[in-house]
Amino acid sequence: MIARTRISTTHLALLAAVAIGTPLTSVAAQAKLDRSVQPKAGASPKLRVPTWTKTKLANGADLIVIEKHDLPLVSFTIDFVGGAANYEPADKAGLAGFTGQMLSEGTKTKSADQLSDAQQLLGTSINGSVGNESGAVRFTSLKDKFEPALALLTDMMLNSTFPDSALERIRGRTIVGLSQQRDQPNSIAANIFTKVTYGDEHPYGRIVTEKSVKAITRDDILAFHKTYFQPGRAVITVAGDIDPKTVKGIVEKALVAWPAGGSRPTFKYPAPPAAKARTIYLIDKPKAAQSVFTFGTPGPSRNTPDYYSIAVMNNLLGGLFQSRLNHDIREVKGFSYGVNSNFAFGRGPGAFRAGGGIVSAKSDSALMGFMTHFKGVQGEMPFTDDEMKQGKESLIQSLPGRFASVNGIGAAISSIYTQDLPENYYKDFSEKINAVTKADLVRVAKKYIDVDHMNMVIVGDRAAIEASLIKTGVAPIVLLDVDGKPVMVP
Amino acid sequence: MMRRSYLTTPASVLTLALLCAAPSAAQKSASAAKGSDAVNIPFEKMTLANGLTVLLAPDHSVPQVTVDVWYHVGSKNELAGRTGFAHMFEHVMFTGSGHVPYGMHDRLTEGVGGNNNGSTTNDRTNYYETVPSNYLESALWLEADRMGYLLDKLDEAKFKAQRDIVQNERRQGVDNQPYGRAFELMDYGIYPDTHPYSWPVVGYMTDLQKAGVEDVKNFFRLYYAPANASIAIVGDFDMAQTKTLVNKYFSDIKAGAPITRPKVVAPVLAGEKRMTFEDRVQVPRLYLSWPSVGDDNDDTAPLQFLAQIISGPRTARLTKALVYDRQSAASVQAFNNDNENAGNFVINITPRPGTTLTQLEATTDSVLARLKQEGPSSEELAKTSAGLEFGFVSALQSNLGKANILLDGQVFHGEALDYKVQYAKLKAVTADDVKRVANKYLVPGRVVLSIVPLGKPELAASADKSTKVTVAPDGGHYIMGNKQ
Repeated sequence: MIARTRISTTHLALLAAVAIGTPLTSVAAQAKLDRSVQPKAGASPKLRVPTWTKTKLANGADLIVIEKHDLPLVSFTIDFVGGAANYEPADKAGLAGFTGQMLSEGTKTKSADQLSDAQQLLGTSINGSVGNESGAVRFTSLKDKFEPALALLTDMMLNSTFPDSALERIRGRTIVGLSQQRDQPNSIAANIFTKVTYGDEHPYGRIVTEKSVKAITRDDILAFHKTYFQPGRAVITVAGDIDPKTVKGIVEKALVAWPAGGSRPTFKYPAPPAAKARTIYLIDKPKAAQSVFTFGTPGPSRNTPDYYSIAVMNNLLGGLFQSRLNHDIREVKGFSYGVNSNFAFGRGPGAFRAGGGIVSAKSDSALMGFMTHFKGVQGEMPFTDDEMKQGKESLIQSLPGRFASVNGIGAAISSIYTQDLPENYYKDFSEKINAVTKADLVRVAKKYIDVDHMNMVIVGDRAAIEASLIKTGVAPIVLLDVDGKPVMVP
Repeated sequence: MMRRSYLTTPASVLTLALLCAAPSAAQKSASAAKGSDAVNIPFEKMTLANGLTVLLAPDHSVPQVTVDVWYHVGSKNELAGRTGFAHMFEHVMFTGSGHVPYGMHDRLTEGVGGNNNGSTTNDRTNYYETVPSNYLESALWLEADRMGYLLDKLDEAKFKAQRDIVQNERRQGVDNQPYGRAFELMDYGIYPDTHPYSWPVVGYMTDLQKAGVEDVKNFFRLYYAPANASIAIVGDFDMAQTKTLVNKYFSDIKAGAPITRPKVVAPVLAGEKRMTFEDRVQVPRLYLSWPSVGDDNDDTAPLQFLAQIISGPRTARLTKALVYDRQSAASVQAFNNDNENAGNFVINITPRPGTTLTQLEATTDSVLARLKQEGPSSEELAKTSAGLEFGFVSALQSNLGKANILLDGQVFHGEALDYKVQYAKLKAVTADDVKRVANKYLVPGRVVLSIVPLGKPELAASADKSTKVTVAPDGGHYIMGNKQ
């Protein structure tokens, strides 16, 4: 109570200092405002790309340093190039993710609880994760907690003990999560789409299952850890309120026990399975209020020269709120709470996907709507000048938003090195986007949206929607169960 | 897509950010004091003659600016049988206004590299856009036009389209979502039928179908007036020029009539209310909910600590007991959902196979009993405090984060600087405070909700004492017991 009173006084003092007297009691004399006049925008603000330094540690890891001093925060990340698709055995899907999680399960000198308590006392959280083509170990902390947090991270990355009991616990929790996913129409649609699009052989077709999770042993984890977390494929990024003169020494010293080794994967993948004629894969979800659509095909990799044209085209097809798909299917027709489209742009043939949740009774009309717009961007509905302007400006002027937080700025700059982008990527971005023409959009839409071979996954109430889907004549229907196995129709 | 959304558990998330959100005036340690000095939201305040409050906080680090408008109206201003209105109205606000054609709002925000959204809670509705700084005037023009002239262009067709979208939003977020009805069911259990917090923000399906365009017009005239609105402008702008623009676009909008706020009575449960709901899920889940207090009560700070000490990090008490030591649960979550005038303290637990909800409830109760008896340790307090301090500084990285912090104070406490008071309250929390609120609120009068797979009511916690709850045949509300 005493504290509160004391602080209230401070609060009043601050109030007086901050709220400079600006209450306006009268309206400045002015002519009646013509509100139909849309204000003219001034000149676009100049893009301020942050500057950074790039050096190498003695063990070969890249070190990126970016200063940002407006708040006492530091973001520290070690990104690893490559992931499950490159280093995980095909029958052990989930191993990479498990290894990342298990960095929190105890080290040679600290129990898992001690690690957790130490992080909490520093007001930070250190996370390990390994995804399909990349991984990371990272934290964000207050500036004065940076060095102790870095010491904890190093301990977790290099000295983890991977206890058996923790593996069993994580396995058990994961299996509960997998069974809950079987209730989730969105998860079902995503898994079935992955299966029908990439098959079991392609690394992009692997999904974590109860069977694959049960196959993971502690030795697998030890081996994955040893192979994966190596400086030869690491990009270390420190962004925030740091002293550029001392930071390299601090990082070098913290990671002194991390020996050189490892290299980046080649990302050479087998071709996805041969394209099949357009098919609807229907998974029955009795009494579902909505049908979940996930339509698509394998797409181009991130390094395609068509990247900028695809970005603009997709923005207009299903990226923006006002994109053709969302405007028509949500706003005009009211069939959905939102539909969209995107390109995954992996190192390999990442998918083009379009979809959303559709009110069951309108599944057929929405299906036809999607087809109309796929064909529309391929030339049947020409792009307008205003669409072009919007499609480009929305990409160019949203770029500064990526530089607002220490995490954002770190991720924006490190992605240049983890994804092998040119160092002037952000500086040249607007020029590249502005060079895209309407003809480019039509060309890439035809090239990358393969409507004749599209996999159309629909999770919904079969009894309510199947007959009307057949009537659209869009594609034959194949019935699958939640695991992607064909359902025998009597 | 989560655009234009209602928030199901808004307060818990927002409050965490807010409570994290203030410099530590009482801080003694030198290093931390340095941190808290650096964190501040410098702003100026202007009040127009029509009652509109405007908070202006410059931050030139990125060439973008956020305009965030809060109207002090939410689902609690609705009436039973007419629910979902405040949120549906939020959607209508994006369909154009007197001088702004439909689509122009997105065109001048997202279409120029910005973004926009709105959200509705039980207590307030907000609208915001972040735009490149050269589009600030457009953003003010857009917000002023829908504040002053929305009804000029509203017709039946536009309204009906948005009503359909909101019904889809409900299907997607609640009806088609495993466990999606849990929060509605807990509120249904805790609050009496006509209580302003008893119905869901998104509304019941039958009520949504009944809503008409005349309802919209009346609602607008009552609540969307300058005197019931506050605006924060945060980011890359020029102070003097922006004040001129605010006057230009907002000063001639009429003030509006005085508003009668609903009387919100703190709910009291005489005893334990046990409910079973069958859902299309494979794994059952246990939800516990106690009436607690809202944003307007000093106990929210220790309740925030209590939630962090119960669940979250692996050494939090219930998480450690259930997820790590006994391994009987896959996940545990605890939070204090504090609305403006009332709140509830919620714990939900997903079991691992082999553990029943009955067992989970018993273990949970024994962990809570011990905490109530011994109170938290000084290390538990220190850990919670450090997390809140970091969260505060981190929230200041976003223009929208700062805008919401200022507006939460302005709208609910009549003072934008209130975050400093809230933070001081957090800093002052003691082990005794946490122990006291645990004993005061985690009492026998609570809702125990078991969500179980269809046809398996026997999986409920102490199933023989639990009453089945069903969705009414018209889909409109819930029915407890066998009233069919």
